[in-house]
Amino acid sequence: MPLTERPAVEARDLRRTFRTKQGVLRPTRKTVEAVKGVSFEIAPGELFGLLGPNGAGKTTTIKMLITLLIPTSGSASVLGHDVVADVREVRRRIGYVFGGDRGLYERLSGLDNLRYFSELYGVPPREQKARIGSLLELVGLTGREGERVEGYSRGMRQRLHIARGLLHDPDVFFLDEPSIGIDPVGARELRATIAGLREQGKTVLLTTHYMFEADELCDRIAVIRSGEIVAEGTPGELKGLVSAGRVLEVETYGVADGVVETSRTLGGVRSVVVEDRGQVQVLVVSCEPGAEVTQAVLGQLGDTRVGRVSHRDPTLEDAYVELVTR
Amino acid sequence: MNRLRQQVVCFWLQLKILLFSPFEGFLAVVFPLMFATAALLVYQVNGDPAAMLYAGIGAAAMGIWTSQTVSATTLVQRERRAGTLELVVAAPTPFSLVLLPITFAMATIGLYSVVATILWDRWLFDIALHVANWPLFVLSILMATVTIALFGFLLSVTAVRYRTSWALGAALEYPGWLLCGFVVPLDLLPAVLRPLSWALAPTWAVEGMRAAAAGESPWSDLAICGAVGLVYAALAAWLGVRLITAARRDATLALT
Amino acid sequence: MTSARIFFIGGLMSYRALFGWMNPWIFVPSLLVSPVCQILLFAYIGRSAGVGTDEFYVIGNALNYAAIPCMFAMTFTIGGERFGQTLGLVLATPARRIPLFLGRSMPVIANGWFVAMFGVVVGSLLLDVDIPASAWPLMALVVAVGSLASTGLGLVMGAINLVYRDGATMGNVLFLVLLIFTGTNVALDDLPDWMAAVGRCLPLTHAIEATRMLADGATWGAVRGLVGTELVIGLVYLAVGLGAIRLFERLSRTGATLDRI
Repeated sequence: MPLTERPAVEARDLRRTFRTKQGVLRPTRKTVEAVKGVSFEIAPGELFGLLGPNGAGKTTTIKMLITLLIPTSGSASVLGHDVVADVREVRRRIGYVFGGDRGLYERLSGLDNLRYFSELYGVPPREQKARIGSLLELVGLTGREGERVEGYSRGMRQRLHIARGLLHDPDVFFLDEPSIGIDPVGARELRATIAGLREQGKTVLLTTHYMFEADELCDRIAVIRSGEIVAEGTPGELKGLVSAGRVLEVETYGVADGVVETSRTLGGVRSVVVEDRGQVQVLVVSCEPGAEVTQAVLGQLGDTRVGRVSHRDPTLEDAYVELVTR
Repeated sequence: MNRLRQQVVCFWLQLKILLFSPFEGFLAVVFPLMFATAALLVYQVNGDPAAMLYAGIGAAAMGIWTSQTVSATTLVQRERRAGTLELVVAAPTPFSLVLLPITFAMATIGLYSVVATILWDRWLFDIALHVANWPLFVLSILMATVTIALFGFLLSVTAVRYRTSWALGAALEYPGWLLCGFVVPLDLLPAVLRPLSWALAPTWAVEGMRAAAAGESPWSDLAICGAVGLVYAALAAWLGVRLITAARRDATLALT
Repeated sequence: MTSARIFFIGGLMSYRALFGWMNPWIFVPSLLVSPVCQILLFAYIGRSAGVGTDEFYVIGNALNYAAIPCMFAMTFTIGGERFGQTLGLVLATPARRIPLFLGRSMPVIANGWFVAMFGVVVGSLLLDVDIPASAWPLMALVVAVGSLASTGLGLVMGAINLVYRDGATMGNVLFLVLLIFTGTNVALDDLPDWMAAVGRCLPLTHAIEATRMLADGATWGAVRGLVGTELVIGLVYLAVGLGAIRLFERLSRTGATLDRI
């Protein structure tokens, strides 16, 4: 196999179980299978998305790839280095950033945080200053780097995180829900930064909950549910999984319990979920191609007040919802 | 060369973190200082000057012990809470080399507490240290600091694995003060505890401090002290690799 | 009726909610091993200095250590809510404040009492201190009064914690103040006058003295005054604490200090 075709990240049947213990006097042990045989490949320079609900095993998968967790079974490699055997080689070549505002030394300035991690990543002293300066510029923190992180806003912390992850110019970048909890403007800037990484030829693995983010950024997406990959493909291909059908949206005021369940059993219905939009609750019904379920669904609603009823084409979000609730 | 620079920069940044912290920067100094005060108040009731000097020298070293045992075991807890533990483990630098400068930053706080206690003793209790050989006395203090730092290093490595290590670490404070003979002559303690005292490097360092103050030779005490310290370091380096691997296997790094 | 429920059930539930992280790995070293070690440390210092008896140090340090659970737990019942950002929710309820906060203090007092009694019993066994069996019931009562007084101080600290965020440091500093000023290791008579005067305004001072007298065979009549003083000191601290909570609650509504953590 020619060298150029070697995947940047390769996971082969990765599994991870956790043992938990509860109670002290009479401990009950439970084994939880967080990741149940996940396999995928990411080509060099590709931006790969891992989507899934909370607790689906996204973070566990990432932590195995970045050497923080040892897989229970299966194997994985990053740029050809095994994540269990060649720990230091892997660590040298990867960057890791997670969302939220933890993971920084609050009592140090932003600059000192970057200096500390430059040392730990062995960035040559001569290059450090220039490197930190350009990264601060990249994430828009120039001028604020001397302040202690305590006083940073969430968005600033998140950008400092990105800078920290890029310090040693890693070839492969792992971003675990980086946009969580930042405002729309900050999220848009973050997306631009991530897109910039791909343009530089970096390989990126991104997990996110935001479908438009994945749709906009990712070359390929894998949807993970309860520790298993249930679908994989380009955003277009995933939409295609449901695009043969249509989506019916019914605005209701106070949908009764049980309607969702009974509607799911109707002929021609693939999935039903309820979305809250302000005062109204929207019943989102994904249907088989050609199926006409509008009257049947309205019949299920009985006396419930109904607002606008509409049809539309499926989005990536519909595909995702269908995949993870099926 | 780069490694040395790394250690120095990390030491300096970690010292900054400690100095800004009310816990490590303030309490780790004040807590042993007040216990030293309480101990000296007891000695003062009879007012025997020889006993006061004995206790005054030992009391000065109490702070090094606190700054290490308590801070070292809360260190990992602190990194966990901040969410940085995983990040430093994920860095290519071996974890023991991440911990080493932190331990020395703590030792520096401990050293500061020695000076503070000596001045405090003098101001509050009029204990003037009659030290026959100052260079050797200072050397003994430095030996105490370094070996206790190595002990703290060993503790902090062990603490990675256990979530509640901070509580165990805090519980080491009083026994250490007693067993190292800081303010109580070891002859008074039950004989069964003697081997424990001998295994603690500060015991020897404090003996060295007293010998240097009295004008005797501290070299034999300091040699044993250094040897015990090296054992700590070797043990810590060995455990460091094993425990981090175990933490990766059992997923205990991220637990808060 | 509602207030009674808030006092008993609310107190117990909030204790469990806020101290869910407590487990034997924390409780045993910090609340059982450490007090015994503190007793041993000072008993040996006393032996080395030729000052006081073992019994003197056992009682002094065991009671002194009760201040740790009492003050920290009480501070934490308020400070912990601030960290969990639930304090605003609790204060938004119409529940009456006195049963609300006093209910929280009951489990704290019980905990402090247990820690102090454990220290006295184990310390006496280890150091071969002989305390007559007849003295124990009254000693237990006096220790309970001392725990109540420390909890009162804890409530004041909890109130301060509403406006000053570093409750843990404050608690440690106060513990050190109690260690030195309450006659834990040096009888008040042997302390400089100003220190003894400060000591007489603090919780535990009178309880420690009364417990020592009881262990030496004193009758209830001899210690009644001391115990009464301790109780009054405790109630004053509780009242000050409740008043301060009320004041800071009002201030925080104008100055929005509660939600800052």
